[in-house]
Amino acid sequence: MTADYLRFYGVAKTFGTVPVVRRTDLSIARDALVVFLGPSGCGKTTLMRMVGGLDSPTEGWIELDGGRVDRPDRRRGMVFQSYSSFPWLTVAQNIAFGMRYRDDLTAAEKQERVRHYLDLVGLTDFADSYPSRISGGMRQRVAIARTLAAGSEVLLMDEPFGALDALTRERLQVQLRSIQKREAKTVVFVTHDVEEAVFLADRIILFSARPATIVADIDVTAELGAERPLDIRETRPFFDLRNHVLHLIRHETSEAA
Amino acid sequence: MSGAMDEPLPERGKRPAQGRSKTLRTALGGLFAFRGRSSPTVEVGVSVLAAAIVLGLWEAASRAGWIAPQFLPSPSAVLGALWTMTTEQSLGYHIAVSTGRVWAAFLLAAAMAIPIGILMSSYRIVGAALEPMIDFIRYLPVPALVPLSIIWFGVGETTKIFLLWLGTFFQLVLLVADDMRRVPHEYVEVARTVGANSRQLMWDVALRSMGPTLLDNLRITLGWCWTYLIIAEIVAASSGIGYVIWQARRFVKTPEVMAGVVVIGLIGLVTDQLLRLLHRRFFRYL
Ligand SMILES: Nc1ncnc2c1ncn2[C@@H]1O[C@H](COP(=O)(O)OP(=O)(O)OP(=O)(O)O)[C@@H](O)[C@H]1O
Ligand SMILES: [Mg+2]
Repeated sequence: MTADYLRFYGVAKTFGTVPVVRRTDLSIARDALVVFLGPSGCGKTTLMRMVGGLDSPTEGWIELDGGRVDRPDRRRGMVFQSYSSFPWLTVAQNIAFGMRYRDDLTAAEKQERVRHYLDLVGLTDFADSYPSRISGGMRQRVAIARTLAAGSEVLLMDEPFGALDALTRERLQVQLRSIQKREAKTVVFVTHDVEEAVFLADRIILFSARPATIVADIDVTAELGAERPLDIRETRPFFDLRNHVLHLIRHETSEAA
Repeated sequence: MSGAMDEPLPERGKRPAQGRSKTLRTALGGLFAFRGRSSPTVEVGVSVLAAAIVLGLWEAASRAGWIAPQFLPSPSAVLGALWTMTTEQSLGYHIAVSTGRVWAAFLLAAAMAIPIGILMSSYRIVGAALEPMIDFIRYLPVPALVPLSIIWFGVGETTKIFLLWLGTFFQLVLLVADDMRRVPHEYVEVARTVGANSRQLMWDVALRSMGPTLLDNLRITLGWCWTYLIIAEIVAASSGIGYVIWQARRFVKTPEVMAGVVVIGLIGLVTDQLLRLLHRRFFRYL
């Protein structure tokens, strides 16, 4: 693991005169699953967009693997909560879209990769279905497969499971963790759901209410281990950690209110 | 992980197999339930039946002499007029002329409105420059501009096309701009992330995403074109359906006037249905 894979150097963001992200320094290790947790409207999406290169910091800069981030590229793939896949393309075509503008791969290689990632996210049977014909959970898996097929090293996920029902959400959390470990990807995952954060994360960065600033940095793997079976949610260490984080975030929101 | 984890949604439009009489009964019941569902066949039946009742009442009213035929001729008289106009007064030619004018003006308006509308939403400089102007011109009533356009273009084809264009272009350009604005930024950002350049963003994402609403808006503005056609052909023409209607009016040939109106209505209906069919063909994924 490289400890300084993704780095924030004094990153701050202001919209007009409204400060949204206060000067932030942060370092994220390669292949870690890091969760940005914070109250609604605190600036999480803004942070994520800056990592993606879709928005630039007002102050400071972000580096990935020593190179400065200044524009979007496929090393950092985005998975959004809604409109995450193109409705006019089939599942397979959506996944292939990740490689559409790559000319370093032959058509046969692209096809092979589509097959591989279809299988990885369990959608082989739905390769030719349109997104409107599959469930919300499946649509999010399509988006994950597309970013992987694109060859992204970092997955930036902004509340990707926010619109799903509790059971689907739980299954996708398990699947995401297993994919992330198997494919060795760095994931930055935004949520305001404490339970989701604790279950998924190797590390939780807790942000304050707007303007966002880091209030806690929690090493979840040290507390719960790297293995996260579903029933870990019923164990004492999970329960304690969840309550601890909940307490911290409550403190944050009450100050803002 | 397995694909069986979450179930796919059932295909739209497919209903579980049922007995025929039961299906019919459900469809009929659905007609009367609040927000009920029915079957397409049953609904077409209801539409035809309703139209037949209206026509029947109308015919009866005319025959009974409740309404003077100069004001409202019976449907059969209109049908008769339609027949003589087709066989003796080359109605077909006039229909062709009018259709040609409508499509020429419409295609011209669309060819200009689509790129300009897209640019207005994509580049602030174009939007800021054009939007107030277009918004102003859009509210000018087309009939009020007839004298001006005759001064500019005389009474030839140009005036007619210009008036039709005037009635559609400014509306359409704002509709297109709006469609473009509504392309979810997520689509654009995903595409930028995987390396699309501006041209690819436009063709592979924005236009694809706009497609369904764009075609809908084209269909609606094409309908408006037909309303402006009558104004254009009444003012200055020696051919076209508007001209035919206006001539018939001078001699108080009410059945002919009605027949002209009916023809326009039918052309509108058929075009609209064809474009809807095209919509379903193109956008199967919806
Ligand atoms: N382009 C923008 N211009 C002006 N203000 C903005 C812009 N984008 C975001 N903001 C403001 O910045 C603040 C933080 O927004 P952001 O979307 O980053 O928060 P968030 O933590 O992702 O919220 P949520 O939990 O609702 O997703 C909000 O108050 C928002 O109104
Ligand atoms: Mg957000």
